[in-house]
Amino acid sequence: MASRKPGQSDHPVVHSAFAQMRSGKLDRREFIRTAALLGTSATAAYAMAGLKSPANAAGMPFSPDDPKAKMGGILKIAMAVQKMEDPATYSWVQMSNQSRHTLEYLAMTGPDNVTRPMLAESWTASPDLKTWTFVLRKGVMWHTGEEFTTEHVAWNFNRWLDPKTASSNVGLSVCSALVEETGEKDAKGKAIKRVAKNAIEIVDRYTIRLNLNKPVLSAPEDLYNYPAAMAHPGFKAPISDNMVGTGPFQLVTMKVGDRCILRKVKTMADGKPFTYWGGPVYLDEIHYYNFDADNQLNGFASGDVDGVYDFNVEQMDLAKSLPGVIHIARTAQTICCRMRCDTKPFDDKRVRQAIVMSVDNSKVKSLVYTTGGDVGENHHVAPVHPDYFALPPLKRDIEGAKKLLKEAGFPNGIEVTIDVGNTDGPWHQTACEAMRDQMKDAGITLKLNVIPGAKYWEIWDKTTFGCTAWTHRPLGTMVMSLGYRTGVPWNESHYSNPAFDKALDAAEATLDVAARKEKLGVAEKILQDDAVMILPLFRPIYTIVAKAVNGYVGHPTQYHQFNKVWKG
Amino acid sequence: MLKLIASRLLQMLLIMVVVSLLLFLIFDSDKFKKQIAVAELGGFAVSALSEQDYEAWLEKKGLNVAFYERYAKWASGVAHGNLGRSFEKNEPVLSLVAERLTNTGILAFWVFALMIPLSLGLGIVAGMKEGSKRDRVVSFVAVFTTSLPEIATAIIVTVVFALGLRWVPANSSMVNGWDWRQLVLPVMTLVLYDFGYVARMTRASMAEVMTSQYIRTAVLKGLPYRRVIMRHALRNALIAPFTIIVLQLNWLLSGVVVVEVFFQYAGFGKLLLDAALFGDVYVIQAATLVAVCVAVVSQIISDVGYTLLNPRIRFG
Amino acid sequence: MAGFLAPFRQPRRIVGVMLLMWVPLTLYVMFGDGLGGARFYVLMPAIPATLLLYVLAITSWRESPVALIGATLVFFWLLVAVLVPYLPLVDPNKPMAPFAVIGAVRNDHLFVLGADFKGRDMLARTLWGCQRVLVWGVSATMVAYVVGCLLGLIAGYLSGWWDQGISFVSNVLLSFPVMVLFILILNYLGPSGFNIVIAVTFASAPAIMRIVRGITLDMKSRDYIYAAQTRGEHPLRIMVFELLPNARGPIIVDACLRLGYTTVAITTLTFLGLGLQPPDPDWGLMIKESAKVAMLFKFSYMLLAPALCVSSLVLGFNLMADGLREMSLRD
Repeated sequence: MASRKPGQSDHPVVHSAFAQMRSGKLDRREFIRTAALLGTSATAAYAMAGLKSPANAAGMPFSPDDPKAKMGGILKIAMAVQKMEDPATYSWVQMSNQSRHTLEYLAMTGPDNVTRPMLAESWTASPDLKTWTFVLRKGVMWHTGEEFTTEHVAWNFNRWLDPKTASSNVGLSVCSALVEETGEKDAKGKAIKRVAKNAIEIVDRYTIRLNLNKPVLSAPEDLYNYPAAMAHPGFKAPISDNMVGTGPFQLVTMKVGDRCILRKVKTMADGKPFTYWGGPVYLDEIHYYNFDADNQLNGFASGDVDGVYDFNVEQMDLAKSLPGVIHIARTAQTICCRMRCDTKPFDDKRVRQAIVMSVDNSKVKSLVYTTGGDVGENHHVAPVHPDYFALPPLKRDIEGAKKLLKEAGFPNGIEVTIDVGNTDGPWHQTACEAMRDQMKDAGITLKLNVIPGAKYWEIWDKTTFGCTAWTHRPLGTMVMSLGYRTGVPWNESHYSNPAFDKALDAAEATLDVAARKEKLGVAEKILQDDAVMILPLFRPIYTIVAKAVNGYVGHPTQYHQFNKVWKG
Repeated sequence: MLKLIASRLLQMLLIMVVVSLLLFLIFDSDKFKKQIAVAELGGFAVSALSEQDYEAWLEKKGLNVAFYERYAKWASGVAHGNLGRSFEKNEPVLSLVAERLTNTGILAFWVFALMIPLSLGLGIVAGMKEGSKRDRVVSFVAVFTTSLPEIATAIIVTVVFALGLRWVPANSSMVNGWDWRQLVLPVMTLVLYDFGYVARMTRASMAEVMTSQYIRTAVLKGLPYRRVIMRHALRNALIAPFTIIVLQLNWLLSGVVVVEVFFQYAGFGKLLLDAALFGDVYVIQAATLVAVCVAVVSQIISDVGYTLLNPRIRFG
Repeated sequence: MAGFLAPFRQPRRIVGVMLLMWVPLTLYVMFGDGLGGARFYVLMPAIPATLLLYVLAITSWRESPVALIGATLVFFWLLVAVLVPYLPLVDPNKPMAPFAVIGAVRNDHLFVLGADFKGRDMLARTLWGCQRVLVWGVSATMVAYVVGCLLGLIAGYLSGWWDQGISFVSNVLLSFPVMVLFILILNYLGPSGFNIVIAVTFASAPAIMRIVRGITLDMKSRDYIYAAQTRGEHPLRIMVFELLPNARGPIIVDACLRLGYTTVAITTLTFLGLGLQPPDPDWGLMIKESAKVAMLFKFSYMLLAPALCVSSLVLGFNLMADGLREMSLRD
């Protein structure tokens, strides 16, 4: 395939990113992702990168219609069936999966990490990345029979940004650039932020403009964050009582802890037949059945379901002996065994360094996750993050660790206790046990204090040494500013280093993709050298589906996309 | 007699009031409120919540009022047949409990249907001739199966019949609608666990009757052995087992939680466990009260039945 | 032989030998981490004590084969519990070869009972697993007995308001199905061995109290109690030293049965996630951890091994109770 070059219509950042890709400074996949975010069509971006685009229906976020596909059938998935109150305040991915085929998003990030237009047909960004214009698809219908328009989009944005809604969407970069301080304060003196005037501008029935107060690169990607689903203005909590959406399925039965049944929409509320904007949808019904996390694979093994939400690494051997297709997704989900930098004995950097040096992260990773996963480098940016900058690999150094401990006043070794809550599964403990065995060589006695998950969440930001689970976030800068900037609420290690804050600010302020990576690399290095945490690995996500299920692809954030799935 | 029943029922009511008050007090603690919040909003989100947002959340859930107020509200609701709403499952407790009770009821029905004839039959056969070979075999099997904990029996039958022979599924979640094959293993586990106990009681009762004066007389009189057993011995020998069997109701309601969990059967015991782990106070209340009620009522039935059946006991 | 054993048959000495077995074992399991280097040696005196107790048991229960079998099963596990640190086993918590099946040789190690999903040696885990069940099970039963006996004695001996109050509370507790009580208490207190002791006490003490109260009421009117009363002895002294020893018979049988129940309860609760916590091996825990990975015939040994072990222990307690009851009826 002859590679194309960016044209007039493409964003200036796409041009510079293209040049960087050519000179080898930018990864091809990263170029595609950036170009797609900035409004270049995914197919064109793939062509520019000289890669074969995954087959996609023209202008659609889904894989193309399969001529062999059979209509009909029920897809049964084992998953925790959770309460659905308000899509804007969803706190678990499972909730969003239950409504994902009804309540849709403006954009959709595919399994290839490339964001494509969904309810929006296209978007453009101004050169300074402060003005984003979204053009909606025409003919997208609500199940009520109304057409989906920019009025509805504006209504959703305003609702998310209303402090009363308490939506976590406020934390998205695009949303935080839409609000400003009003001078009001809440009871605790925290400033209340409200939507800035004219921030959300309806241009016409199908065009809406977001006027941001700071540049944002990831706007379309943010709009596929799971609580950013487009709800109908007639929405009243709980959404499960009356779920009106634009998607091909509607909710038929919803019983928390039991089942959630979705059925293909045939007619709209006004009696007219419903035509889905996204073309043919093959399944008749999608059934989610509630299984405890540990029992989902057993449900699959006994043939009750066609697939599972996920299974854990201990179950891999069982999964391998079952007839089915195992999908492994790379993620930035991780555990962060972090030390409180302001509490004895961890206030001494040499102690932290000795602890970190005595552990071989790659060994821990291969012990805990034999299949898939990435080795962590103690700075919380994962190889799957688009802004990840590869530092030289870490080396285990027992002698160095012993020397540092001696200097720090522990010539006979040191005993430390880590709190482990297994909040993301028993593998936390396996990882900590592996670390314990490795630290022994350096004279460090690691004791494991295993506590129930709910207990752990009460102390996660207080304990001096704890193993905290962090979920996947799309950007490295995002996790770093959430967890390590001086004084931020989730800074569980109480880490404070002006040099790091400066480096992180510099990276965040950089729009140029390759330069941003390099600048984030500086921050990564500072954090790594300060030995705040052992972050041994980034976990993979395992799922399994029956062989009869076609068109299923595992998504790194476990979002279900069944629009083109069919059963053979 | 009636007076006795009435006083027992009254005592039960008193106990239920005490229990429900205690449960409310326990589950009103900040710890359990936090637990509900963590389960609903996620641990990360809760720890990031400001004090004010948390208060707002409590208010939304109706958890911020004093516990006696909540209790009074709940109690008057109960009087009107409204058992409240489940925090976890977001549906009325009444329908939830009714549904799970039905499921456990089906399980219990089949356990009784198989266990009663089996254990009575074996117990009678064994007790007819104490010390005989038959008696020894039955007694040994009974002690053996009763000694296997339910969880061990569940594992053994699963390994043999589901994983090994593949006759029945290993999992009883019934997600694809009702399936009798999924009921086989839980019923088998419970029958295996329970029949031994009832059989031993029947055997002891039968053995005692067989040594009694009037049976010996009947046999000596030359009445056919069969007739002696059927007409005279059985009637008296079955009184004790009857009371025991009625008491099994109580065990079948909530003692089977481990079997329900192991086989993923959506029964009453599992509901109670899930609710306790979640801190779903209205479900716990309803389930506990039902359990207490069944326990006490089965006790009363067993006592009353024993008195009615046994000609030697008369209440003045 | 008989001559050698004779001095140990005095009740006081039997209790002494029992303590010699029990105290080290409890120390080892409950407070092992605090013992430091001494941990390795602490169980040594318990080995001869356990053997001696076993010999005493089989020599005095010769007439009841049922009790003999039961005692053999129970003492087998007791011996394993005190011997296991000195047996040539690998570390039960060390991951070696995940899913190594029975008889597999991996990393120069023969997996006699296979390895679990984390690759830990099942033989080592199964044998180590008896310690926690035995120690917590027996401790919980003992505490329940102490509480139950005291309450029973008080209710039966003092009568009046004491009796009314204690009986009402125990009626409330008894009207709960046992499992419900366990779930509620452990959910409130949090899962741990010590909390199991508390939960078992709540669940068992009322029933024990009833038995002891009944016996006390029955014996209160006997002459020797009057004698003690007229001697002006303190009621507590009368209760513990005059009444309690005479209630010994039914209590011992009941205790054996109850030990069985408690073993089952601990295993069950641990399986439900309300009991003992990882990582140390325990049968209930092994079942819990394996249930999600072993639902294939070739991996079923992970479930069967702990299930059969716990069954054999419970069977031992039940047979012992049966045998003792049989013997007491014969006397």
